[in-house]
Amino acid sequence: MPKARDVVYYLFHVQELRNIIQWKVWHNPVHERDESKETPSLKRCFHYLDMTSRSFSAVIKELNPELLVPVCLFYLILRGLDTIEDDMTIPLAEKEPLLRKFDQILEKDGWTFTGNGPNEKDRDLLVEFNVVVEEFKKVKPAYKDIIRDITKKMGDGMADYANNAEHNVNGVNTVKDYELYCHYVAGLVGEGLTRLFVEGKLANPALLERPELMESMGQFLQQVNIIRDIREDLDDGRRFWPKEIWSKHVDKFEDLFKPENEEKALNCSAEMVLTALRRADECLFYLAGLRDQSVFNFCAIPQAMAIATLELCFRNKTMFQRNIKITKGQACRLMLDSTQNLQVLCGVFKDYARRIHKQNNPRDPNFLEISIACGKIEQFIESIFPSQTPTERVVPADQQAMTPEQKAKAKKEAEEAKWDIIYMGLAVLLVLGTISGFMIFVAWMAGARFDIAFSSLTNKISATLPSPSAAGHNEL
Amino acid sequence: MVGAKRVLVTGGSGFIGSAIIKAFQDQRPAYDLVVLDVQPLKAKILQKSTVRYFHADITNEHEVSKAIGAARPDVIVHVAGYVPSGNSRYNQAERDYTFKVNVHGTENVLAAARQFGVQSLVYTSSCTAITDHSAHDYPNMTEALPVGSATLIYGESKGISERLVLAANSTHLKTCALRPSTVFGAGDTQLIPTIHQCIAKGETPFIVGTGLNLYDFSFVSNIADAHVLAVGNLLDGPGTAAGEAFFVSNGQPVPFRAFCLAVWAQFGHYPPFEVRLPWGLAYFAGFVAEIGTFVTGRPATLSRGSVKDACQTAYASIEKARTVLGYEPRVSIVHGLREACMDYKQRLEICNKKACLRTVHQ
Repeated sequence: MPKARDVVYYLFHVQELRNIIQWKVWHNPVHERDESKETPSLKRCFHYLDMTSRSFSAVIKELNPELLVPVCLFYLILRGLDTIEDDMTIPLAEKEPLLRKFDQILEKDGWTFTGNGPNEKDRDLLVEFNVVVEEFKKVKPAYKDIIRDITKKMGDGMADYANNAEHNVNGVNTVKDYELYCHYVAGLVGEGLTRLFVEGKLANPALLERPELMESMGQFLQQVNIIRDIREDLDDGRRFWPKEIWSKHVDKFEDLFKPENEEKALNCSAEMVLTALRRADECLFYLAGLRDQSVFNFCAIPQAMAIATLELCFRNKTMFQRNIKITKGQACRLMLDSTQNLQVLCGVFKDYARRIHKQNNPRDPNFLEISIACGKIEQFIESIFPSQTPTERVVPADQQAMTPEQKAKAKKEAEEAKWDIIYMGLAVLLVLGTISGFMIFVAWMAGARFDIAFSSLTNKISATLPSPSAAGHNEL
Repeated sequence: MVGAKRVLVTGGSGFIGSAIIKAFQDQRPAYDLVVLDVQPLKAKILQKSTVRYFHADITNEHEVSKAIGAARPDVIVHVAGYVPSGNSRYNQAERDYTFKVNVHGTENVLAAARQFGVQSLVYTSSCTAITDHSAHDYPNMTEALPVGSATLIYGESKGISERLVLAANSTHLKTCALRPSTVFGAGDTQLIPTIHQCIAKGETPFIVGTGLNLYDFSFVSNIADAHVLAVGNLLDGPGTAAGEAFFVSNGQPVPFRAFCLAVWAQFGHYPPFEVRLPWGLAYFAGFVAEIGTFVTGRPATLSRGSVKDACQTAYASIEKARTVLGYEPRVSIVHGLREACMDYKQRLEICNKKACLRTVHQ
């Protein structure tokens, strides 16, 4: 049952309601999973996918059948790893080896884990992790290798952070640390997925030769999440905004949330947005390398949501008080636009970049940098989808290259057009003059005293202007 | 040729020309530098006085020929030109003078270059050779666009002279043309001062059009770098630039409005409110202002031409300059803008003391 608040909201935002209806009615998944052929353990895996992922479940389930199961398992494995890392009730001595050896756990038949605290939200997944292990065995070896490799790298990265006391007390220090953290939790996912896409022949192998592109895909999503979740993370006692950035604006991290520091907090969040925004063009470049519609949708939807969220967070003080989210209507529009093709998605990026631009404030120390980042997105889009066709651009040159006869003809036409305009202007003046004259005549007939009006007007004008004649007499 | 390579820079006393001299001094100390100009050398360059100076008027064939004959350069960097400013940009009042300096001046330089066996010539063209057709937008333009569509006198004159230079390219005389976008920097007398004047005139709250149309800017030292690279390519390098034109800019397109806001912020000014004038209304207002100018004889900032300029999208792709010349803008517009505004502030302070504000603006 929709909430009363939502009903009122959509009554005033009919366009958004229309988006929701359009999405529900018209969206046809590129692929649909065939439940009849699934084993009970695979069904359980999909059950956990629904349980653990809020945003990814739907897009994963529409993936090309070739990658449906590997990507689903890849997601669940990383979610399992994350559930161990997140849980502060597990002692470090137990946690570290679990994280570092998670890639080996994937091979252990019947492995489950019940050591999570009772409040850990995805604890059930680990309690029944044996279904994931069971299904992982059936995956093609090439895909298994990729998943295992990424699991190892991520587990090691997480273990390093868990060991890093400095990080746990003070949060992230430099921008480099921040990006390294995002690399472990998101950049690696981008790498794993890209290798899976290429292995499944659903993406251009050239993507592997430009690793910065897949890195940017993950960085962009993760950074946007970190920006948006600032309040939630603070309440949970975590901080991911790098000190290198916030210390430029406030002395203590907590000061960001004080009402008197509103302007400073906004400038600080704008710098965070800027750092993420600089990745946007590489994300679009990456998406150009995907060959399969379902893979494109899978990657494009989160990116579109991310740029919209970034716009929502930009210079938005609410973000420091509570968690903010884009509306369902907006999300449906974004999903409609990001399940078509790259050009439509580029339109979305351009639109949001311009919206960010409009809110940019010249008092912000990064004002021009933000402008440059928005301009860069637009220029990149223009380079892959020129807004002008070559013929449109060549037209003026054709005019130059005209023969003398053509030129004479064009000149004659222009001359005629000019006289047309003059005649039309005269006709308009004539009509206006006639009507005005008629009105003045009627007024005069009715007794209007134009002589008085005229003399008072001239008096007023001569009173405001210095009288030249008077000056002349003085000189004489 | 024995000894150091000799570079002659026409207009070497001017804003861009003196930056080019400085770039050669810093990056190619072995080159022998000569300036041809009607104005004397800038004080800063005179201090390091290995630079030789020839006084010559670019519009005078004999003076140009005499100076180049005496200097005997290996390469000429032809920067000298005239940019009509203010409303002269949009009307025909300065047409003859603009063409005399930009087109006839270039003919004079080319003739002397042929006569005295100069090996290469780098011409400072302008992106306006394309974009001075303000009814059109030029987003991410490339060198594939044809020259010759400009309708304003400056762009038209630069387009014609650029064609002359590139047509002169031969095995004896290698030529190329660089097309910088709007150049700014320390010593700039046009862009920053004009934007700064809007504060005193109370014009800063008005946004013509969307205020989001992207525009290209170039910091002067980056443009100077491009000239050094072009000379290197023609004179000592592979010669791949011969016969070619290149867009050069900072590669950081931003809305003209954003650039103005950033300049005003440097002077501590922030528009107290904002008013958006839709294109049609602004164009009409421009027309009215022009009639006002015609009647009163006092020039207004607003005109149909300046409204078109303000609404135009015009920025270039600098990929060709990157790949062929190895060009990379080293100074970001963020740093460049700060430096240019600091310099202008100092000039204003000095002038306030001497009460010569007017000369700074000119």
